[in-house]
Amino acid sequence: MMTNQMLKIERILAVSAAAAVFAAGTSWARAPFTDEELAEQKAALVESIALGYDLWHGSRADMTTNGLACGNCHPDTAASNPQTFPKYMTMYGKVIPFREMVNWCIENPQAGARLDVNGDDMTAMEAYAFYLHRGKEITPGLASEQTTPIVVEYGAGYARTPTGVGVDTKP
Amino acid sequence: MSDIVDHSRRQFLSFAGKAGLTTLVAQAVGINLGVVDIVRAQTGKRGVEPFRFAIISDAHLYSMPDHKFDQQLADAVAQVNAMTPLPDFVLFGGDVAQNGTEDQLVKGNKILAGLKMPLKLIPGEHDWYLDMGDAWRGLFGDETWSFNHKGVHFIGLNSILVRDFWTEAGMTPLERMTVMEMLESPIPGPWGVHEKQLEWLANDVKDLAPDTPVVIFTHSPLWDYYPRWNFQTSDAPEIREILSKFDNVMSYHGHVHQTLYNRIGNMSSVAALGTAWPWPYPPVELAFPETRMNRADPSIATDGMGTQVIDLSGSFEGLVQYKPFEDSLTPFMRDGFKV
Ligand SMILES: [Fe+2]
Ligand SMILES: [Fe+2]
Repeated sequence: MMTNQMLKIERILAVSAAAAVFAAGTSWARAPFTDEELAEQKAALVESIALGYDLWHGSRADMTTNGLACGNCHPDTAASNPQTFPKYMTMYGKVIPFREMVNWCIENPQAGARLDVNGDDMTAMEAYAFYLHRGKEITPGLASEQTTPIVVEYGAGYARTPTGVGVDTKP
Repeated sequence: MSDIVDHSRRQFLSFAGKAGLTTLVAQAVGINLGVVDIVRAQTGKRGVEPFRFAIISDAHLYSMPDHKFDQQLADAVAQVNAMTPLPDFVLFGGDVAQNGTEDQLVKGNKILAGLKMPLKLIPGEHDWYLDMGDAWRGLFGDETWSFNHKGVHFIGLNSILVRDFWTEAGMTPLERMTVMEMLESPIPGPWGVHEKQLEWLANDVKDLAPDTPVVIFTHSPLWDYYPRWNFQTSDAPEIREILSKFDNVMSYHGHVHQTLYNRIGNMSSVAALGTAWPWPYPPVELAFPETRMNRADPSIATDGMGTQVIDLSGSFEGLVQYKPFEDSLTPFMRDGFKV
């Protein structure tokens, strides 16, 4: 049976082993983040994803003049293929990043005004699309096939507080 | 508006006349006010006279004047009008409107009035949830119907009925509509035809012989394709059970905005292209993956959209041909496929 003392020693050994590995090629600028800090960072990410979800579904008026939002053609960000960028797009005749593809859709099918590529709104759009493709293989340049996002079992696809309306009542 | 109502009803009645029906009976039961020819309904498939019909679906018209989707629906009408031979009639697969407003439905009715042949419609969720179908019914009549044409029994059902999520939440009609407009909305849950239409359906087919050719038409597929996007009808198993006595049933549906075929038991299921935009194929395996179209190219404004025409033979075989606006089909799909 393992005593508390033994567990403690094992932990210390594991930490020193990890430290030794990193010491070989990497140095930490600071100690690893605390759980609280990590929770804050996750909350900041979810806030950005949530903003992206709203923008994707038409919350910003100047992104369209014909009523279309990203979600019209890309439910759950499907077929937006973020993990395949940068890639060659025929409409540009060159390799472009995902952010430029987003702006192309805003300016063309949606006939709206492009977003600042370095602004928080564009980051949020990217956060939502990439979050729904988390774990998917990064395959720059794949242009001929539609890829699929992760299967969303329930809710908005990220850790959103449920609205409580209809079947959207689960956490 | 009243003359539009008259126009659509008159057109359908005159179609029934042209089709050579000998008996016009408004069905006495349930909610059906469709046209029924009892004599032909009982003759079974030996009575099928070959003919073709076309499907136009998912126009999603917006209220802005000269919106690009207006032209895309007009292009679909022109494409069907140019088919040789001409289809006997056209079925519209739902989602005339994007936001369910009367002006959008009226605009759709005007564009569709350009068809040379009669038209029957069933509603989509985008047509319905602003006023719970009032404007739609005013323009297009009942959403549950059946009729016989050249020996084939055609049935239309409203498959987009959801449980009431709005009353308790105190939502306005506009808020309710907005919830329904989002394909991946987590609020409404799965939709279906519900009890009243199941009873109507059971009654509608109870006197039909098993060899009667049956075509059933709904907005959503009658199988579990991808429930999260309501690519399903919750009571499809009950519908398939009611129709299980028939030798062969063809189901045609809209809502998925893509080419797709499936078969369960005696029922083949075929999806319609939309005229507004293509939906992606969802992350599921397909039994017949070869019936997918090419990935739509966003730089070609109408890629992945179009119409479809179905030729029914004397032995009730169907040749399904997608007619995309652009070159969207794989070689397998190009010359059509049999159902
Ligand atoms: Fe639709
Ligand atoms: Fe729909």
